[in-house]
Amino acid sequence: MRTKFSGILTLFLALFVQILFAQQQTVSGTVTDDTGMPLPGATVSIKGTTTGKTTDFDGNYSIKANNGQTLVFSYVGYAPQEIKVSSTTIDVQLKQGEALEAVTVVAYGGAVNSAKVASAIATVDGETIEQVPINSLDQVLQGAAAGVNVNTGSGQPGQSATIIIRGRGSLQGDIEPLFVIDGVPVDQDNFRSLNQNDIETLSVLKDAAATAIYGNRGAGGVVLVTTKKGRKGSGVNIQYRTLYGVAVKPRTRFEVMNANQFLTWQRDLLPGTQFGDGLSDAEIATIAGQTNTNWSDVFFQQGVTVSHELSISTGNENTSSYTSMQYFKQEGITLGSDLTRFSFRNNFSGSSENKKFNYGTTLTLNRSVSNFIVDAARGGNTGGQLDNPFIVPYIGLPYISRFNPDGSLNIFGNRRSGALNADGSVADPNGFLNTPFLALNTARLNTDQETEFKAVGAINADFNFAKNLTIGGSIGIDYTNIELLQITTPGSIRGLITPNQGSEVKGSQREVFFRDANFILNAFLRYQNDITDKLSLSASIYGEYNYSNTQQAEFTAFGLNPALPTSSAGFTSGNTQEGEDTNGDGILDAESELALNYVPGVGSSESELALASLFATLDLDYDGKYGFSGTIRRDQTSRFPRNSTGTFWSVAGRWNIDNEDFMSDVDFINALKIRASYGVVGNQGVGGRYQGLQTVVADPTSYQLGTGYLLGGLVDEDIQWETTNQLNLGLSFGLWNNRLSGEFDYYNFLTDNLFSLNSPLSVAQTGYNTVISNIGSMRNSGVDLQLAYDVLRKSQTNPWSITVRGNGNFNRNRVEELPVNFTGNTLRTAEGRQALTWFDVRWAGVDPSNGQPLYFDVDGNITNVFDPANGVYLDKNFDPTFTGGFGADIAYKGFALNALFSFSADRWRRNGSLAIIEDASLAGFANQSITMLNAWTTPGQVTDIPRLSFQGRAEIGDRYIEDASFLRLRNVTLSYTVDSKILEKTKVFTGMRVYVQGTNLITWTKWRGFDPEGNQSGGFFDYPVPRTLSLGFDLNF
Amino acid sequence: MKKYFLIPIIVALLFTVSCDDQLERFPVDTLVEETAFQSVSDLENGLRGAINSINRGGGQGSLLAFNSIFTDNCKVGVDNGGQQINLINQILNSQGGDQGTWTDRYNAINNFNRLLASASAIAPGVGEDDAYNNVLAQSYAFRAFLHFSLLEYYAEDLMNPGSLGVYYQNVVATSGFPARQTVGENLDEIQNDLTLAASLMPASSTDINFATQDFITFLRARIALYTGDYNTAISNANTIISNYTLADQTEYAAMFAGDGNSTEVIFKFDNVLGNNASIAFNWIFTGTGGSFMEMSNSLFQAFEPGDIRRTVNLDPTSEPTESPTLLVIGKYPPNADTNYINDYKAMRLSEMYLIRAEAHARKAAPDFAAAADDISALRTARFGSAQTEPVFSDVNAAIVRIKEERRVELCFEGFRYLDIKRYRNILNQGVERLPVDCETVPCNLPSSSEKFTFPIPIAEINANPNMVQNTGY
Repeated sequence: MRTKFSGILTLFLALFVQILFAQQQTVSGTVTDDTGMPLPGATVSIKGTTTGKTTDFDGNYSIKANNGQTLVFSYVGYAPQEIKVSSTTIDVQLKQGEALEAVTVVAYGGAVNSAKVASAIATVDGETIEQVPINSLDQVLQGAAAGVNVNTGSGQPGQSATIIIRGRGSLQGDIEPLFVIDGVPVDQDNFRSLNQNDIETLSVLKDAAATAIYGNRGAGGVVLVTTKKGRKGSGVNIQYRTLYGVAVKPRTRFEVMNANQFLTWQRDLLPGTQFGDGLSDAEIATIAGQTNTNWSDVFFQQGVTVSHELSISTGNENTSSYTSMQYFKQEGITLGSDLTRFSFRNNFSGSSENKKFNYGTTLTLNRSVSNFIVDAARGGNTGGQLDNPFIVPYIGLPYISRFNPDGSLNIFGNRRSGALNADGSVADPNGFLNTPFLALNTARLNTDQETEFKAVGAINADFNFAKNLTIGGSIGIDYTNIELLQITTPGSIRGLITPNQGSEVKGSQREVFFRDANFILNAFLRYQNDITDKLSLSASIYGEYNYSNTQQAEFTAFGLNPALPTSSAGFTSGNTQEGEDTNGDGILDAESELALNYVPGVGSSESELALASLFATLDLDYDGKYGFSGTIRRDQTSRFPRNSTGTFWSVAGRWNIDNEDFMSDVDFINALKIRASYGVVGNQGVGGRYQGLQTVVADPTSYQLGTGYLLGGLVDEDIQWETTNQLNLGLSFGLWNNRLSGEFDYYNFLTDNLFSLNSPLSVAQTGYNTVISNIGSMRNSGVDLQLAYDVLRKSQTNPWSITVRGNGNFNRNRVEELPVNFTGNTLRTAEGRQALTWFDVRWAGVDPSNGQPLYFDVDGNITNVFDPANGVYLDKNFDPTFTGGFGADIAYKGFALNALFSFSADRWRRNGSLAIIEDASLAGFANQSITMLNAWTTPGQVTDIPRLSFQGRAEIGDRYIEDASFLRLRNVTLSYTVDSKILEKTKVFTGMRVYVQGTNLITWTKWRGFDPEGNQSGGFFDYPVPRTLSLGFDLNF
Repeated sequence: MKKYFLIPIIVALLFTVSCDDQLERFPVDTLVEETAFQSVSDLENGLRGAINSINRGGGQGSLLAFNSIFTDNCKVGVDNGGQQINLINQILNSQGGDQGTWTDRYNAINNFNRLLASASAIAPGVGEDDAYNNVLAQSYAFRAFLHFSLLEYYAEDLMNPGSLGVYYQNVVATSGFPARQTVGENLDEIQNDLTLAASLMPASSTDINFATQDFITFLRARIALYTGDYNTAISNANTIISNYTLADQTEYAAMFAGDGNSTEVIFKFDNVLGNNASIAFNWIFTGTGGSFMEMSNSLFQAFEPGDIRRTVNLDPTSEPTESPTLLVIGKYPPNADTNYINDYKAMRLSEMYLIRAEAHARKAAPDFAAAADDISALRTARFGSAQTEPVFSDVNAAIVRIKEERRVELCFEGFRYLDIKRYRNILNQGVERLPVDCETVPCNLPSSSEKFTFPIPIAEINANPNMVQNTGY
């Protein structure tokens, strides 16, 4: 006690003495830029204290400081300067930009000088994705970085995309990158609750040198997300931002018949008996005159996006924080599809006085509510569900009226749609004819809602406890809680058959409680030393433990009391007996008469995954010219009990040619760096969490509703991670004062121990068609190119700034080794070819003499017989060969125009939607494409639609395998930033920006549907990505 | 300060020492095979699981669907949205169309083999012998049943013991590339299994929802008929026929109305609420109503007035007099509970009469009178009044009548395709559909078509270098 007290006393004394002896004086002066113009609002602070002032409109300042103290002058976009106080007048000229050295965020290392990076990393600045009304941070990467292929399966707000970096690296395993937010690995398929305006940068790690440190999770690449932090010494900054947007349907690239066309066509051309048969021209005209419904008009709405966001960042000498709150609501382009969320973030960092101890926390808490429609991407849907709103614009019959007699929208159906009988009683509202009303009814009356709570947070600290030595650690969590609520309302059309047609009480309610928690625990020791004045070294060792736990519980109750929605008080008891005593024996016979319609369904499950790792890194730099980096990681996973331990590594070198002496005369080269890396990275994201165990499934609803034990599929217990050997050669350059800068990379990735179903397995012998094992190999090789050119730079004399930029990837995928000829049926994976190559019988058009469909046989001869044996590899692949993006940033005074185009080329998908509306066998209940009007009728007629008696989709071959390449104006923004000199006069605002923005405004494609994008090989009534126009406003205080 | 040093060291130690504990994660929701089977009761769970793994006539890959839709028993339904269109178009190739029977059967067989392997490691406790032996007997019986099912579809000629059969899987193996054995070799194995099953089957095993002694006898009769051993067929049929009586009209109707009667059922796969392989879903949208496949006009016309089978097979919602006709298949009705819960009656007594009739007609010294008597007996039960079948003049005439009778008696029960296949060598007929049934689908399949034998699936051919494909594929 005594010693502690005396210690405190000493501290006070020291401060006192310092204050006592300091000589305080007022220092004043002017801060100007390199052209001599005054800089208003520049910060002048005393180093080591919290004292600070800002310059006035004329760049003048005055501050009280002691002799010998150091003043720090800073201004956004300029290099800070430090000057020791030695006189009462100090004028400072700040130099623009250059000293703001480019930084790259690397794994486990934070931001480092880009010049010293030897790996392939693409950085996406958070600014470029802020306020873009696409709400999944993976989706917004489309077109933003070379080698990053992004496809989204649905226009549902918040829908996660499928991201493939540098080609499909696995056949059955995870192909998507690992996402790490502020050091915490997170669920790669769910970002809808996160506020992407919080993102400072996205770092896409693309080669082994960058990803080997993630060991058996790094093979698909890694996306590091760094969120905003307050800046030390920045004072308090408050920003309010708002956005209002309207989403509309994309362009329709197909045309269906109108009522007149359809009925006439049914009558005149279509075999069989349909509604149009037997109608006279006059009758058709009457029907079509009364009703000619364009179902697109009914199903597409304008979806409104609203966002309000308040963020506060603070910073003094030793601590800084960033806090944001966002309310966000986005409606889809059809009713019943939306996302509403509230997001909160607080990032805090602090350090000790001597900066030797640093700590920080990042925390985001989010709650979102998503409403879903029955779209193709939801649950186990195929797209063919009749209550999918996006099936209706294709097949909804035009001669059926959408209105009730009183003029209101009909959401049940009518006689003509088969929903009602002549006497007004209910007929078959669940039938094909009633599709439009079924979709309307489900979207309006039924519920499919997920309420998500998501928290991502971490605490980290490091301490430079001895010369050159730092220890540190972090604890992080990614926690997701999803409550699913699905209600089939008793009064809805689906409610009529739920739990079944005969039940007296209708409706069902399902709730699922899902919890996913991912923990990470990390500790490290780092040694950093400048061994000579030229050679510096940094080495670290890390220990890490990752643990994931996923739990789910659910129930489904049947027979709802409409007066008590969502409450169990309204559920019908599971013991309720129904049925009919048909044989009159006074007993409901269990076999034939008794119905237990309301037995609730219940479920509960849990799974775990653990990963323990030790890893180390080494970085050497010689005089800024040569660098070497190495990483090694030993992972131990719970996923593969027999092969739990794997070692992954990488080496990389760089040569910064621009720093060589012989380059000192070459003025036009500012940066020139050659990079090379090689390493081995793994992918443990294969199969289930217990893939290495031969399990037996216990099924309590087995034969005769008893418990049955059954093998849970054949497994290979020797299963292990896939390994990818990754070679990367890169060139980074900056020319003509960095006006032209870019990166060029060649890569060659070979995935070994490919996780595949293709192991040759005889069903006759083993009872199983497939077993997933490590077999075969596959190569992805290609180039990434990223370029930026400053056409014009803003200067004292030039108010214009124009930068054009572009990135592209060319990827070649080839299956190098596969023990079985091929897998898949019409979309095949075969040795020597690209994975997922189309294989089908080639369609050869229509025989003009008789209207029969024609095909090519294997030898290319025309035949009228469809035989799958005539299938050939079509040299058309699902994954694109070329992807990328390009754009421009143009600024004039306060105005700025930013545009980004994205493209994806040489990509083929099967257009199943179009096949349906060119299928005469369905034309009794499904509207057809206007192309069907050209169906063959007379000998000699040249057409591409066969005679309608040759029906069916079974024999279409490659007819609907379409080029799904696209070029899209992904985002364009026109903004105006109000001059800060004007705002200065308000004394309140420090920044103001207004903008209009268009997202996905134009898409160029040959795909005959709403949207070529999609992440499935077949398009089947997908929910298209909308076009969005928005207006935004940012205000800084 | 030294304590900070300790942190990474401790952490590193923790990883290396306690990792193994942390990394041993076992599933919560499933058992691990090594420890799953510990008792006879576990084996009984395994038996239920294995029987449940057999395609029991419903859902994807039903042979009941195949036999009716591929042939002349179905037409495209009024509510068809593409369902089973490939099947009615008779698309059958090594890439599809065989309903996955190869995989389904071998997978189920594998489950019985694994059950037998697990049983071998368990010693029954006191009083458990019957239960234990029953599990073994069931496994051998179903193994034989399933292998014969494979032979029916994948062997080109069951009458020729030297022709290519299938592989008889009676071991648990996770690798290996077997060749096809001959039909004769397969039949020997089947008989071995049936003999074993019969010897192990406890007297208490009489539940018709499982294999029984009668199941074994029934199967032996069917096998004997299909393989041309007519006297064996007759003797086994005699045994069964002496043990059961044919359902009368009321009983017959009840049998196909929610399984209200099982007078003439020797074996059925049980369907109950909560475990229902919905058979009606082969043709009907059981959830929403509406037929994607209907009974063909040709089959409808084969039912005579007064025949209870017409009432049973044609759902009352049908409109047979409309044009076009609406012929809803009614053999597996929604019932009072509207859940379409109907058992798959895989062995019925009437089949024994038809088998005996055919055997009498085809045996070395044909007994056409006995054959006609069996047909008469069956028809008498179905019409509810005495029916007399004229004595057949020759084998050909007998088979024409038996084929016709089998069609109306056994429609939608998985026989039509096999019957057409079997009778080709006598009648030389393929599938012939009425024009009204084939407006948009093929009207016939010639008797010479390779499609009367299933192709070995391409996956097996690709994986297994020793597997020989059937002719024509």
